[in-house]
Amino acid sequence: MTTIITKTITKICIPLVILFSISLLLAGHNNPGGGFIGGVMFVSVIALAYVVFGLRYIKTFFNPDWAKWFGFGLTLASLTAFSAMMFGHNFFRSAVEFVHLPLFGEIELVSAGLFDIGVYFVVIGSLLFIFKNVGDDNE
Amino acid sequence: MDSFNAITAAIFLPFIFAGLVPVMEKLLKQRIGWFAVATALACFILIGMAAPGVIEEGHIVQGSIPWIPSAGVDFTIYADGLAMMIGFIASGIGVLIMSYSNGYMSKTEDLKRYYQYLLLFMGSMIGMVFSGNTIQLFIFWELTSITSFMLIGYWRHKPESIYGATKSLLLTASGGLAMLAGFLLLGNITGSFDLTAILNDPQVINAIKEHELFLITLILIFIGAAAKSAQGPFYIWLPNAMEAPTPVSAFLHSATMVKAGIYLIARIHPIFSGTEAWFILVSGTGIITMLVAGFLAFRQTDIKGILAYSTISQLAYLMTMYGYTTYHEPGIGVAAATFHLLNHATFKACLFLVAGIVAHEAATRDIRKLGGLRREMPITFIIACIAGLSMAGIPPLNGFLSKEMFYESSLEMGASLGGIFTFLIPAFAVLGGVFTFAYSIKLIDGIFLGERDKEAIPHHIHEPPMTMLIPPAFLAFLIILFGVIPSLPTHYIIEPAVSGILLETAHLHVKLWHGFTASLMMTIVTFILGILIYTKYDRIAAWQDNFNMKKPWISINYYYDRAVDSAKGNAFRFSSRSQTGSIKLYMSAMLLLMIALIAIPAAILATNIVPSQLNFDIPPYEAILLLLLIVAALSAAILPKYLPAIIALSTLGYGVSLLFIYLKAPDLALTQVLVETLSTIIFLLAITKIPQKYKEKISFSVLTRDILIAITIAASVFVLLLNATQGIVDPFASLSHYFIDNSLLLAGGHNIVNVIIVDFRSYDTLGEIAVMCLAALGVYNLIHSRSEE
Repeated sequence: MTTIITKTITKICIPLVILFSISLLLAGHNNPGGGFIGGVMFVSVIALAYVVFGLRYIKTFFNPDWAKWFGFGLTLASLTAFSAMMFGHNFFRSAVEFVHLPLFGEIELVSAGLFDIGVYFVVIGSLLFIFKNVGDDNE
Repeated sequence: MDSFNAITAAIFLPFIFAGLVPVMEKLLKQRIGWFAVATALACFILIGMAAPGVIEEGHIVQGSIPWIPSAGVDFTIYADGLAMMIGFIASGIGVLIMSYSNGYMSKTEDLKRYYQYLLLFMGSMIGMVFSGNTIQLFIFWELTSITSFMLIGYWRHKPESIYGATKSLLLTASGGLAMLAGFLLLGNITGSFDLTAILNDPQVINAIKEHELFLITLILIFIGAAAKSAQGPFYIWLPNAMEAPTPVSAFLHSATMVKAGIYLIARIHPIFSGTEAWFILVSGTGIITMLVAGFLAFRQTDIKGILAYSTISQLAYLMTMYGYTTYHEPGIGVAAATFHLLNHATFKACLFLVAGIVAHEAATRDIRKLGGLRREMPITFIIACIAGLSMAGIPPLNGFLSKEMFYESSLEMGASLGGIFTFLIPAFAVLGGVFTFAYSIKLIDGIFLGERDKEAIPHHIHEPPMTMLIPPAFLAFLIILFGVIPSLPTHYIIEPAVSGILLETAHLHVKLWHGFTASLMMTIVTFILGILIYTKYDRIAAWQDNFNMKKPWISINYYYDRAVDSAKGNAFRFSSRSQTGSIKLYMSAMLLLMIALIAIPAAILATNIVPSQLNFDIPPYEAILLLLLIVAALSAAILPKYLPAIIALSTLGYGVSLLFIYLKAPDLALTQVLVETLSTIIFLLAITKIPQKYKEKISFSVLTRDILIAITIAASVFVLLLNATQGIVDPFASLSHYFIDNSLLLAGGHNIVNVIIVDFRSYDTLGEIAVMCLAALGVYNLIHSRSEE
């Protein structure tokens, strides 16, 4: 699997797929997509890089602690849930706000979007954490 | 700030500040302990803000915040004199212990964790005493069990401390469960979990006393209290808990953790006392524990071990006194017990701190090696004398006063019972006092008097730093102060607390000298017998050692260890039988369960298996796709090599995602494609490590069995899907309408699938992502626990 073709294509793919995964995450509320799909998309491209270039090589320059990612995600998601209580609403009450920004036009801000970002990080963190640990063990 | 808010703040402040410890540690480095001291001091002041009303006017601070209204459970605060007293002890001794720890704990220790545990423990303790609700009390109660487990096991690398921590958790937490059962019964009798409502209403208390569940409720709650306060057979956890750092022992075993059980007994005193059951259970357990633990203290060679047994014995004094009760006078020993509770907190904490100083400076706690330290550490010697003599009951120290009151109440209780008990109960009390006298003197004598053992401790010993000297010195000051001016503690602390227990205003007159009374005679007898027994101290200890060696089965520890070991063995045997590691077996078990849950009920309930209205109008492209899916599924099952089988399997997966696109579910299709890709990659990664051919020869019978299971599952799922909207189950309306109508309106999103995930069913999603995190950690642990072997 480590031919020059796969290596070249993977290199090109990585930024594109990551951008696509972020767009899936942000577009999720109104179009196909969302935190889960975006997260899995992100995972698949990193996994591809791990497979193509080898975990050991990738680790020399890119070695994030994936456990922190899912920790952050879970914290963010829970905080979103609790933040509604601070405003005297029920647990998980969501809020929607429309904002005008100079370049982007009208943007919809949803508190559930923050929750979705939490989901995104949990999916990325936990899957890659498993992936890396299983891969490490195989070496 | 009003009293209610002040006490609520005192409960939650330690929890919040424990969370801030890591941040503050970056700032303060090794001086982080002073941050913990400040927190404890803040709690002390907050409780103090609520105190004047309680002490001067007999006012009880009550209030509640709705918490679980559906279960009738509120966050309730009930702060009377008793709760105030224990709250002051917990936070006040907390200040001293945490200051002392700054000198005691080595700078290389994980101080962050240490102070976090201490603060969490203190918060749980304060929360427990101010709870006005049994469920809330139970939660804080178990929190103290868990946090003390962490404190006792603080030195994780030592097997003894793990053993001690586990033992304390097993015994105190399971006692707590018995207590919860008792509280539930109490809730059943009164119809509410609100302690405030019970304590404020004499009619409810009478109703409880006459109820048929009275005895069992009392026994269950008492088990919780006894386990916590190391009484009766539960005492065995306390000696092993001495593996904790000494300041922790001082905090847990003099002032707080073990006092929780006593507190509970005092709290439920008005509800249950004045009955025979109360006297037999509480005083009976107390007297037996007092004598046995006092006696067993003789053979301890570790100074903390002596202190542990003396703590058990002293707590048993308290139990005994709270247990003294008659119909006419339910609280004979309450005043004495409450006073002794305060005094015990002062002298026992002081002794533990002295033991910590000795261990810290001499690097041993073995009383056989220690001795003659009075010249090298004179200040510590004086402090130890004050605390030790107070425990022994020598005037004019506070221990003398409360021991006199103990004797007085024993005489009164004996007289009211009449018959042989007139002499028996005071005699037991004196015997307990004699043992206490003997081991108290042993502590002072063994550490500070006698000859210096130059071989065991060759280096010169000096006084500890001031941070370690001031806390015990302050306690020694209190011991003398309470002894010389007893009206000070009795007026400001004991009287409000006793009023809180007896539910009526109490007045006490405690004087140092009150003439030649019977109790003074008993004290003199105690001293004479104590000196006599002290001359035989070593022979008694040797006899105990000998007895234990010959008959090891006459000990509760023996049975505890056997129970725990056999539980481990049984668990191992059970899991090695049920978890064989054969994936085929696991799969068969899961599928057979599915058959039992789906196929069998469907076969029984179904009137017509095949629904009447079936839609055979399939477009040709879908038909081709479905055919492809069938081919892929079959090939995955029968292809002989791994690689082609995996490719067939992923073809199946991608085909299904194509099907989702036909069925207009882009989100599902996208997810399916991605998950399929990932699982194929992981499969391929794993497959390179395994030989490429199936090695296993499958016999015909096994094959038939597997095919049968597979076909049954496939058929039942097929029938279930056919009948999803009609047939076996009642036809249900499409769910999607609700979401289509409301997703934009309520959640501001057009994508229903996503809106369901993050908004309508976000609670489920939160659970699912939590499960994902746990699964990741589980995989990590499985892999790493295996590679360590």
